[in-house]
Amino acid sequence: MPKRLAILVLASAPFAAGAATDSYTFDPLHTSISFAIDHQGLSMIHGRFSKYSGKFTIDRAAKTGGVELTVETASVDTNDNDKGSRPRSRDEHLRSADFFNAAEFPRMTYKSTHVVFAGDTPTVVEGNLTLLGVTKPVAITMERFRCNPPTATAKERCGGSAAAKIKRSDFGMKRGIPSIGDEVLLSFGFEGDKD
Amino acid sequence: MLGLLDHPAVQAGLAPLMVALIVATALASTRFAWLAIIPAYATMVALDTGFSLFPPTVARKTILVGLLAPLFGIVADLYPRASRAIAAALVVVVGLLSIWVFTTVLQNREQASALAAGAGVAAFVAVLVAMVLRLRDDGPRAGATGLGLGLAVGIAGVLSASIGALMAGVAIAVACGGMLIVQAAFSRALAPGFTGALPVGLVCALVAAGTLLLAELPWYALPLLLLIPAATSLPAPARGLIARIAALSGYALVAAVIPIGAAWYAARGALF
Repeated sequence: MPKRLAILVLASAPFAAGAATDSYTFDPLHTSISFAIDHQGLSMIHGRFSKYSGKFTIDRAAKTGGVELTVETASVDTNDNDKGSRPRSRDEHLRSADFFNAAEFPRMTYKSTHVVFAGDTPTVVEGNLTLLGVTKPVAITMERFRCNPPTATAKERCGGSAAAKIKRSDFGMKRGIPSIGDEVLLSFGFEGDKD
Repeated sequence: MLGLLDHPAVQAGLAPLMVALIVATALASTRFAWLAIIPAYATMVALDTGFSLFPPTVARKTILVGLLAPLFGIVADLYPRASRAIAAALVVVVGLLSIWVFTTVLQNREQASALAAGAGVAAFVAVLVAMVLRLRDDGPRAGATGLGLGLAVGIAGVLSASIGALMAGVAIAVACGGMLIVQAAFSRALAPGFTGALPVGLVCALVAAGTLLLAELPWYALPLLLLIPAATSLPAPARGLIARIAALSGYALVAAVIPIGAAWYAARGALF
């Protein structure tokens, strides 16, 4: 009996390896973290963060996965670094304590707690966003997700796009409301090579 | 009406001024008329961002310290011993307190940079508070100092990308302006004592230091702010309270132009 069990375990080893969790590191050349916010009910102002790091994992067989993302808040960029005739640019203002408070809170982080799957594709990532020292649950909706198989010259690569909505006042960022919107639309485009 | 309360000029200017005038008038016959500074400042906070203690950020700790400062001021004013020794003790305490206020920023820096910034900020807060406390027995001088300091901190703050500093500075400025108006209206100088001088000096010092560490205020603007209490210590007309208030306010406003100019220079790279 022990011998038959050992054979069964050995025979199932390749399947177990195939079902293991795969880990991917965000590729900064093909990843973007951007946001949009209402300005006086007129336009949507768009911005992005240029410095971040993180990983995502997926186990399609077990239908589990995860995301960990750290964003440098001082890297906020709304395409307004040129002050022109103004004393300060919008990006300088966004880095100050009125908004992202980058000197006091240099990083915001997102850590998933649960990933919802439809079939073998992740559709919603549930997790906690920590911004300005406040942690709140935020659900990220996956708009698409797919993986390209490895080639002779490249590792397996996965990517997709996703979106979320937050209220900045929930995190204590209240300056300018309602002239500058409370609701912030977050969008992510990402790719990562398998580690 | 509610829309009006959303306007920054009402939140930091008109509403705190009205509150300061009402409370100062009500307390004018007591030695604690300058307590009016605190509800005026609190009005700005309530209308602007609201009150919140957690997480304890620099801005929230500054508000907390500003609102609690008069309590220490009242104790100091009621203490029977020599007030010079109390003033010296308060100066040491606020210097150390400023390090606590800015801990969350300093801990993000390299050790040498954190030590230099912490020591510099503590020294600045202590010196500015000491200079304002020296004026605690002279209502017109203290009021003019608060007017000039508040405007300088606020305008230099907004030039340094901080609307929060603008709101706090203007609220203190109009509250002190309100104290000057009440003194002129009653034809009687109202000495702030520690109760009034401590929160005025401490809030202005912490907001200015916060604008340095959290926004873009240049370091050299901080020592230039000290020119304002120095200017209001200059000789002023001894007769006629209104003339005295006008002269001292003039001194303060002229001196306030200098740190504002420094913030402008840092922002634009040129004075003109």
